[in-house]
Amino acid sequence: MFPVRRGDPALAHPLPAQDAVGMIIDRGGAWAVVGAGPHGLSALKNLLQVGLDADGYERATDLGGNWNFHAENSRVYESTHLISTKPFTQFPDFPMPDSYPDYPSHWQVHRYFRSYAEHFGLLDHLSFNTEVVAVAPADGDRWNVTVRDRDSGVETTRQYAGVVIANGHNWWPKIPQYPGQDTFTGELKHSADYKSAEVVRGKRVLVVGAGNTGCDVAVESAQNARETFHSTRRGYYYNPKYALGRPSDQTADLLLALRLPLGLRRVMFKSVLRLTVGDFEKFGLRKPDHEFFETHPIVNQQLVYYVGHGDIQPRPDIARFEGSTVHFDDGTSAEIDVVVFCTGYLAHFPFLDDTYLNMVGDHPVLARQIFTPSSPTLAVSGLIQPDSGQWTIAHWQGMLVATYAALLAQDPRAARRFYDAMVRETDVRFTGGAEYKDSSRHYYEIAHQEYLRAIERDLQRLESMSGALVSAR
Amino acid sequence: MTSRRKSSTVMRMWDWSVPPVSTHREVLSIVPEGWIDQPRASRKPPILFIHGLAHGAWCWAERWMPAAAELGFPVYAVSLRGHGDSGGRKRLGRTLMRHYVHDVMQTITEIPQQPVIVGHSMGAIIAQLVADRYQPRGLALLTPAPIQGAAYTLPRLIQRRPAAAAKVLVGGTLPLGPEQLFCNLDETTAAMYVDRLGRESPWAQYELMLPHRIGPVRCPVLVVGTPDDRVVDERAVTETARAYGVDPVWLPGIGHDLMLDGGWEKPLSVVLDWIDERC
Ligand SMILES: Cc1cc2nc3c(=O)[nH]c(=O)nc-3n(C[C@H](O)[C@H](O)[C@H](O)COP(=O)(O)OP(=O)(O)OC[C@H]3O[C@@H](n4cnc5c(N)ncnc54)[C@H](O)[C@@H]3O)c2cc1C
Ligand SMILES: NC(=O)c1ccc[n+]([C@@H]2O[C@H](COP(=O)([O-])OP(=O)(O)OC[C@H]3O[C@@H](n4cnc5c(N)ncnc54)[C@H](OP(=O)(O)O)[C@@H]3O)[C@@H](O)[C@H]2O)c1
Repeated sequence: MFPVRRGDPALAHPLPAQDAVGMIIDRGGAWAVVGAGPHGLSALKNLLQVGLDADGYERATDLGGNWNFHAENSRVYESTHLISTKPFTQFPDFPMPDSYPDYPSHWQVHRYFRSYAEHFGLLDHLSFNTEVVAVAPADGDRWNVTVRDRDSGVETTRQYAGVVIANGHNWWPKIPQYPGQDTFTGELKHSADYKSAEVVRGKRVLVVGAGNTGCDVAVESAQNARETFHSTRRGYYYNPKYALGRPSDQTADLLLALRLPLGLRRVMFKSVLRLTVGDFEKFGLRKPDHEFFETHPIVNQQLVYYVGHGDIQPRPDIARFEGSTVHFDDGTSAEIDVVVFCTGYLAHFPFLDDTYLNMVGDHPVLARQIFTPSSPTLAVSGLIQPDSGQWTIAHWQGMLVATYAALLAQDPRAARRFYDAMVRETDVRFTGGAEYKDSSRHYYEIAHQEYLRAIERDLQRLESMSGALVSAR
Repeated sequence: MTSRRKSSTVMRMWDWSVPPVSTHREVLSIVPEGWIDQPRASRKPPILFIHGLAHGAWCWAERWMPAAAELGFPVYAVSLRGHGDSGGRKRLGRTLMRHYVHDVMQTITEIPQQPVIVGHSMGAIIAQLVADRYQPRGLALLTPAPIQGAAYTLPRLIQRRPAAAAKVLVGGTLPLGPEQLFCNLDETTAAMYVDRLGRESPWAQYELMLPHRIGPVRCPVLVVGTPDDRVVDERAVTETARAYGVDPVWLPGIGHDLMLDGGWEKPLSVVLDWIDERC
């Protein structure tokens, strides 16, 4: 009955039987890249740029990943605009056009990725409508990658020197279970199925969760639904997109540039929130149960406004469902037509045996959130959730993996030294000194500047190991 | 392998927190007919020209752009903010080198594939700062402003052109006349070009005094100088070439503005031949 698209039809696909002689195409020193979202594009571009050969595979018919609105794996909805502004969000070697606003729309973002791919000549190296169904180890740290043409169903296996997995971690829905949920007579939806306000128009709506999706959906519901309830299991800081005339993320970067300590930055952010938005509790919102920077930032200027209008009615956690009624922890209840679970997404790698990703509990733990202790030729890009924009980091992750891959081809022993030192740091996290709240959505949370500093040190180490680069001064 | 690195290529804090405001940008271009339809791998690469101090995109449009386009190269030239017909003249007093880099990066994203970047004089410094974050197809540095910082040239400037030196020190634009820029032009033409020169940002000029640390740069580099240059001395050229481990190409008999001076065909063919061979 559950209307959620469970993502990947190719789940647990068995390795196709390969004829021992010559069925596997040897791609020599080439690397494979799984996915053509921003992380896959950056990996592909940087591998090519360091002089390696690389093939990118994308299951959708176009690139852009999450930002390719019509694709199965896209989780943006019609009204999505970035929550982070251009300067840190964009690729540093391919800025977004000056004609774009501070917070571009998902359509603009998609056009941007297309021009990136065209500019760097990536289209010739990408196969669309081609799903990676198996990534399996081969002799000598090599990988057999099996792909399926989604039209013909024909499968092909090619062998690569290495693989970059960039399949995204924001598409596989995480769905909570509450008592009586099965008896609920209304509609149960996950934000994965929320593409526009049509889902809520004219209805009595309960939005669950206050990540950026939950807040956007609650606001859109306030504008379109008959009634909107918003259930959260804790209180949050709702950051405005603009405070004191400046985009909030740019102010955050300014304070970091000035090297202000965490404690001081917390005081400043909370004071600005207090001065510009006010006391959340007076709006009837819950008091945050945590310090600033301990949950992934919400950037939403409109939610508080609609709470003030009474168009969003804040509620605590759900206690139970009963027919068309939802009971909340505070003893109140509401009649609901549709529930939209905006409870986030989980990472999911259906084409790979999990053991290669150093699973701790239910999620991978990787060095720099990229390198796995199980293989020197397998890298994951995009398994991050920065407290800021993402594609500056996508660029540097791609650079790091590509520079490493180039060293591996050129001087395997030096590369091995780098890798061995790297995976000794598998436990290191980049939290900027904050203690993230225990929640699956913080598995991959990073403090963006601290993380980039580490990547920069890695790159310097790699560059000092490889003699082939021309360096000025 | 040198390891005295510039502060950071990764952590561009000021770009993230105080990004340049956008301005109207003049981009001149000629794309040869049919170029876009040729296979990417075999067609001539685009060339992006970056002008020097107080110049504008016009200086490339006079001679080099049509000539290179004639030979099949798509050519582009941008006027940095406050220069040529670009906007931002009123803000020139608050303009930094990184704003110029922004203007060039914006222009690059409008070009269908990675261009060879050709920078002249101050434009050569900007080209290097661009190559520090973006991998062009090639990097040609023509009569480049000194990578080691122009401060060392000040005593000589004070001695030879005290008024000009004083002007620069208080933030005025370095005065450039026909005698500095050209060797082989008739008076009228030279005067016409000098007339088109504009003002320079005092801050960009000050930044030119400081050393620039750039790299690693992963593309072919060409450095061209002329012994008859009366703006950029031989030391600037040799230091720049040394920084990239290449030998400079010396072209005697032409002035600093080698894209405008009589005999402009020679340096252009050096650049184009290098592109054909190396890029
Ligand atoms: C609603 C929403 C808004 C967001 N807003 C912002 C924002 O404002 N700023 C920001 O920086 N980030 C934002 N993000 C984060 C966003 O996820 C990242 O910016 C970015 O899209 C992640 O890129 P990626 O390449 O890792 O993954 P994705 O963009 O998800 O791309 C992964 C690609 O891999 C493909 N793929 C998956 N499996 C296979 C397979 N087996 N074979 C072949 N191909 C496969 C998919 O089809 C997809 O194209 C937002 C996310 C969401 C959900
Ligand atoms: N540009 C944009 O406008 C935009 C829009 C949407 C999303 N995004 C980005 O996309 C990513 C995903 O965001 P998201 O909002 O979809 O997901 P998310 O950040 O994971 O948020 C999930 C929300 O649901 C809550 N939740 C999780 N499990 C729950 C459970 N079992 N019961 C009750 N509540 C539960 C979480 O609470 P806890 O606090 O307890 O974890 C959190 O409030 C984020 O990086 C986000 O920034 C950006």
